[in-house]
Amino acid sequence: MKKEDTVKLISAEGFEFVIDKKAAMVSQTIRNMLTSPGSFAETEHGEVTFPEISTTILEKICQYFYWSLQYASGKETEFHIEPELTLELMMAANYLHT
Amino acid sequence: MSQPSRPKSPDDQTAMYIRVKRNKTTYFLQCVPSETILQIKEKLQELIDQPVNDQRLILMPNREVLDDSKSLADQKVENDAVVALTLRKDDNEFEEVNIVRPNDFYQSRETDGGF
Repeated sequence: MKKEDTVKLISAEGFEFVIDKKAAMVSQTIRNMLTSPGSFAETEHGEVTFPEISTTILEKICQYFYWSLQYASGKETEFHIEPELTLELMMAANYLHT
Repeated sequence: MSQPSRPKSPDDQTAMYIRVKRNKTTYFLQCVPSETILQIKEKLQELIDQPVNDQRLILMPNREVLDDSKSLADQKVENDAVVALTLRKDDNEFEEVNIVRPNDFYQSRETDGGF
């Protein structure tokens, strides 16, 4: 895995999640950021900051990205979501078009 | 959250992933169960510019130090596992496991506040 093939997502509290670009592209919003040159300066450095998404939620979202890739390649498992995260997670998913 | 569907192809790189954590950073690495710890460290080397010999991987929450020559499956490292990364310090010893969680961070900020 090359550094160029990854993207760093930064949470509200400044925690960093380094994930494959391919996984991040599960999110239509991040895909747009990564594929539209010029409009999002931070994506040139492979970093996207989400000041409105908490660390716990952002990690859950990253797990979802990878789960989604696994699901797409035929591994049918459940994606577990803790009930107390549901509301915040849905708001973030809505924002990320995920 | 939508559920995509595509033809099955087991044993591909999406087979599993692990979460490698150090301080406030988490690296998501895609891997297959037959991969050795050394191969995982080689992947990390690309990302963090730290040579394989200066990395130590520790399976959480039991804090088992993972053996370079063994595979992920051998050492019961499963999909979505959390693995702590520690690096060799200047004095040649490895640092302690340090994984910061968001709650710890809030607490430390409160105590730093001086009120």
